Amino acid sequence: MSRPGWNSLTDRLTRAGRPLFWMIVAGAILAPCACFMALAVSPRLFDQGPQWFTLQYLRGVLSGGVAHALADSMWVSAVAAVMGAAIGFPMAWLVCRTTMPGRRFIRGGMWLVLLLPSWLPALGWVRLVQPDGVMYRIGLDLPVVTHLILGPFGVVLLLGLRCVPFAFLAVSAALAGLGQEFEDAARVHGAGRLGSLRVVAHILAPAIWSALAIGFAESVSDFGVAATLAYSAHFPLATYQLYSAIDNFPPSFPAAAAMGWLLVGSVAIPLALQAKALRGRSYAVLSGRTRPLNPVVMSRRATFGAAAGVSAFAFVALGIPGLGAVSGSLLADFGSSFRVSFANYDAIIHNPTLIGPIDRSLVYGIVAATVTVVAGFVAARMLARTRTKATRTLDMLLLAAVALPSVVFAAGYIFAYNLPFMSKIGIDLYQTTTLLVVAYIASSLPTNARILFGSVSQLQPSLHDAARAHGSGPVRAWGRGVLPAISRPLVMAWLLTFCAVFLELPISQLLYAPSSPPISVAIQDNLGNYHYGIGIAQAVVSVILALLAVGVVLGAYRLLAPAGWRRIGALTRG
Amino acid sequence: MVNLFSSAPGGRRLAGVALAAAASAVGLAACGGTTTKAASAASAATPVPLVVYSAQGYDSAETKAFQAATGIPVKLDDNSTGPLLTQIEASKNNPNWGLLWVDGATAFASLDQQGLLLKGWEPSVSWDTLGTQSVPSDKSYVPTGVTLMAAMVYDSTKVANPPTAWSQLTQTQWKGAVGMNDPSQSGPTYPFIAGMMNSLGGVSQGEAYFTALKANGLVVHPTNGPTLQALTSGAIKLALVQSSAGIGAEATDSSLKVAYLNPVTLLPSAIGIDSKASPQVQAEAKRFVEFVMSAAGQHVMQTGDPTGDSLYYPVLSSVSPLSVLPSLAGVKTQTINPYTWGAQEATINNWFDSNIVQ
Repeated sequence: MSRPGWNSLTDRLTRAGRPLFWMIVAGAILAPCACFMALAVSPRLFDQGPQWFTLQYLRGVLSGGVAHALADSMWVSAVAAVMGAAIGFPMAWLVCRTTMPGRRFIRGGMWLVLLLPSWLPALGWVRLVQPDGVMYRIGLDLPVVTHLILGPFGVVLLLGLRCVPFAFLAVSAALAGLGQEFEDAARVHGAGRLGSLRVVAHILAPAIWSALAIGFAESVSDFGVAATLAYSAHFPLATYQLYSAIDNFPPSFPAAAAMGWLLVGSVAIPLALQAKALRGRSYAVLSGRTRPLNPVVMSRRATFGAAAGVSAFAFVALGIPGLGAVSGSLLADFGSSFRVSFANYDAIIHNPTLIGPIDRSLVYGIVAATVTVVAGFVAARMLARTRTKATRTLDMLLLAAVALPSVVFAAGYIFAYNLPFMSKIGIDLYQTTTLLVVAYIASSLPTNARILFGSVSQLQPSLHDAARAHGSGPVRAWGRGVLPAISRPLVMAWLLTFCAVFLELPISQLLYAPSSPPISVAIQDNLGNYHYGIGIAQAVVSVILALLAVGVVLGAYRLLAPAGWRRIGALTRG
Repeated sequence: MVNLFSSAPGGRRLAGVALAAAASAVGLAACGGTTTKAASAASAATPVPLVVYSAQGYDSAETKAFQAATGIPVKLDDNSTGPLLTQIEASKNNPNWGLLWVDGATAFASLDQQGLLLKGWEPSVSWDTLGTQSVPSDKSYVPTGVTLMAAMVYDSTKVANPPTAWSQLTQTQWKGAVGMNDPSQSGPTYPFIAGMMNSLGGVSQGEAYFTALKANGLVVHPTNGPTLQALTSGAIKLALVQSSAGIGAEATDSSLKVAYLNPVTLLPSAIGIDSKASPQVQAEAKRFVEFVMSAAGQHVMQTGDPTGDSLYYPVLSSVSPLSVLPSLAGVKTQTINPYTWGAQEATINNWFDSNIVQ
């Protein structure tokens, strides 16, 4: 909710920076997407066909196998988003509202799930359950499991597990910022446990809808599962069809663009549902009067049940892919035996060319995450404060960009930033590190903004006003009144972007500056050149390094952030 | 209407062709010598970075050796074939690559038909039989080596009597035992499919063959690696993969053996030069090709990726195949017309995905 006369620093910055922000959004997100999407109706615009205007490609995706794949993608993504929220919500509740032992490990586990590129768990599952896979070789003859996993069920399962961290982060951020007073009030007025939970659930509606929307958009645009498990299951999804249109030779960019239109259009469904559910309500609950929590003390039986559920999630989401990846990296003979060998790791240690890609990806991740968090906060604030035409457009644009597969995003960058007239005026951005980092930022911004939306929507203007009333200047008031409350979500959003950029593949493949490959390209290069074991070992090392980076950042926050930040920030954990 | 998003047809492209023709004339005039005028032109001017798009496992070693030998700086875009071709197609109204080095003549034929390759130039070398079969008539790309599609890989501890003809793969003895790659994900697989169609008499006969294979339980994996993994895990008994992948696997796991069924299709690795590149870049690209075809360059190719792309059959009479490569004596090889079959690639791949993979 906005208040007239509220003269906060963020207000002023927002006003002053709004044109700049829109320019960035237009240049970094809108232009590449628009260029690519224009191909669907005007291939000749970019020398990709003879027609200036045609609807043949849009008509083409509404029939046959592509339409079937699109319909499958829609229902699979919807179920996955619901599954993600259904698992993520209780886990967030366990972490934020209970005394369950070891709950910190849940948060760490969520980061690990987020860190893994989606193809890695998928490969792990395929490796486990395929005929003559690990499961059969250790004596578990379970064809039913093979049939289940290598089918729509397995696809939904993996995409759903992928949605859990997004739901967890969105809901835990909102849940931790929710003081005890609402549950107390409900209980005082006679509500039982279920009734007070309903009250809480209603207050958390923005975060839940945000989780559902982002879960749907992430699933519908996912390529890792589509290209591995879904492919092996002969269950084609729309992103795979789109990829095929681009990867076939000669590629059909107009056909891919037409599929992109439908994928982007599909996010209108969760957006419409979200808008309908939240219209006309306010969810600002975080203020200086927010009461500390009284965590629920769980009974032994409840603790056991919760621990069993969390362990099952960890096994399915992390154990199996970990088994797949690590076993792949320890086999030097294409997996014909269970003989363990460290040959792949030896090769990595003795290959100095590995260091450069890792260094590069670390720098790219740090720069992209820093810029993205700033822009993401601005975007989340715009979305949270007022619902104007501009913010609705921004909301649609950001979520649509989430739904657009990264490979489309990357191709759009080539079309938008490699135009002949740009070269003529001396702007040659294609295949430069600058454009690569801009693309990383643009592709991360939508998810980042959606993740921050839950926390930012809980900020009340009184936080800033109180600091101003006590004599602080605008900058100091923002730093002392607002920043402590959102420092933790900002750190978490930074880590999320860093991890996503560190192992990002499709954009890196098409836009990296020659001679400067990021680590994901180096891994893919080995996987594609028969050095499967080395490639998997590189992936394992990279995930470990990314985890170390997460540990360092969280440790630094714990050690360096003022005690007040950590105390207040704990209420708004991202 | 003028396409504002493309290079003017009468401008850069024509200029490029004219300059390419000039450069070609220079190159052709120099045939017979070890140092061409193109090379001289490149060395005379201040070197500009040569952007190399490559999917070869030895490309990093090769570009470093070239840079050390010539002083010409190289920027290497080392990627899979698919992304490289996607980059070229997406940026074709304003290309910034100097040369492309990947496997498969059909992709080069398609690029050639779009006017994206410099025509009419080849290095002054002595081709062997495989090389002669692989050089295109308009000299729009230069073969640098040859692998075969498809090599049949099997586990000799499990398969005592492997098949000796393609037709045997459809027999019940091999039901559910044959695996191959998906052409929409594996670049070398389309030439294999096209080669089978070519040898069987046409597209419809080839479709019938693959349909029979599917009916006999053909298992399709995305690329060479997963297909070989399926073989070693026991999920399949026969893997139809690129010869270099099969021989590399054999070197890693001694129980694996490679055999060729007649006929096998030649899959040249080749270099094409960007027709729209500046004359200086084209001259540098020609020097790169000449270096690759030199004794030093071939040595780097044969040692740069010992269990992968280095396992190729040379196309030069002066270079011997590595000792681990099976002899081609008695093996019938065929070359498919890349211009005829390249034009059908998307159609046939779509048919394969819709009818065999799904």
